[in-house]
Amino acid sequence: MTRRKFIKKLIGAGSLVVVGAGWLVKKTVPLKYVRALKFKKYPGSLKSMSNIPTQGKWSG
Amino acid sequence: MKIQCELCPKNCLIKPGQSGECRVRLNIDGILRTVVYGYPCSIHVDPIEKKPLFHFLPGTGILSIATVGCNLHCRNCQNWEISQTNPEDSQAYFLPPEKLVAEARNNRIPSIAYTYTDPIIFYEYTYDSAKLAKKEGIRSVLVTAGYVNTEPWERLLEYVDAANIDLKGITEEFYRNVCSGTLKPVQNALVTAKAKGVLVEVTNLIIPTLNDSPQDLRKLCSWIKSNLGADTPLHFSRFFPRYKMRHLPATSLGTLKLAREIALSEGLQYIYIGNIASKEGQNTYCPGCKNLLIERSGYTILQNRLKEDGCPDCGQIIYGVWK
Repeated sequence: MTRRKFIKKLIGAGSLVVVGAGWLVKKTVPLKYVRALKFKKYPGSLKSMSNIPTQGKWSG
Repeated sequence: MKIQCELCPKNCLIKPGQSGECRVRLNIDGILRTVVYGYPCSIHVDPIEKKPLFHFLPGTGILSIATVGCNLHCRNCQNWEISQTNPEDSQAYFLPPEKLVAEARNNRIPSIAYTYTDPIIFYEYTYDSAKLAKKEGIRSVLVTAGYVNTEPWERLLEYVDAANIDLKGITEEFYRNVCSGTLKPVQNALVTAKAKGVLVEVTNLIIPTLNDSPQDLRKLCSWIKSNLGADTPLHFSRFFPRYKMRHLPATSLGTLKLAREIALSEGLQYIYIGNIASKEGQNTYCPGCKNLLIERSGYTILQNRLKEDGCPDCGQIIYGVWK
């Protein structure tokens, strides 16, 4: 094997390792968020609002 | 793909299709989504004294909202029916920030409280509403456990006028065993809020055998005085057996009075007793001349002697936002 071929193979293998490691990192390291985006539909049921009731029964 | 929510110190790692501990922040296709934005489960107009806030616009009503969910799971939770339920099992109103602020404005209500559960878990809804309310001259109040990371907390406080923040105990053990949380972030949140100029009042719910020892109460009061200042109002609140703590008795008036005495002896100036009738424990007295300033009966103001923001007798400035 010539020196040129050897270096080509070395670079190829190195690139594969880098790409693989990147993929692995992307797969295992989670994306981090502070703010959440709105989800349009409420998963529960909706109730209609007429007048605002006075003094809630909840604490606080 | 997993994502991580960095809103609160739980820093939940959330798998696709699942929610964080708060039940309302979900991983949907690798994106963090809030399912309660604009969907409060409770809306009421409360007396502001119910929050409790005794040093902020006394005698006014406050538009109070909450969504379901909470990032803590206190075994004694008084509002567990809404704080520990899933959005899919609940009913909610549709009230986006514009409509919420319009409700306050149209009904001439001077402030909005984000309360009952914890505004931290409906952070984006709170943030957008408070920002809009500020533009309209309506004040914003948080009633919270203060379990939040510093960066989002600081950002939210820009639009907040007052906060009642729970200091549920003064040991890591209490927070871990009773609330599934930790103490340090709450202490940081308290210090940050006060430093940012937000009117801060503190609530400590006294639970028999768990956080009612004179040593713990003294330590808690001493921490407040050293880190928040002697003028920080402190509310000792009565515990009632609820949720997963039905085996403990309600807090006695004697314990609450003892806590008040300890706080006063530690040098705190405004000490209140809540969830129980007590004459001294619900009035505001001047820390200078000790004269009565605001007399209350339950949530009703019987007498307000404040002149501007000071004592009419000795002129001492009283910590608060009075108008």
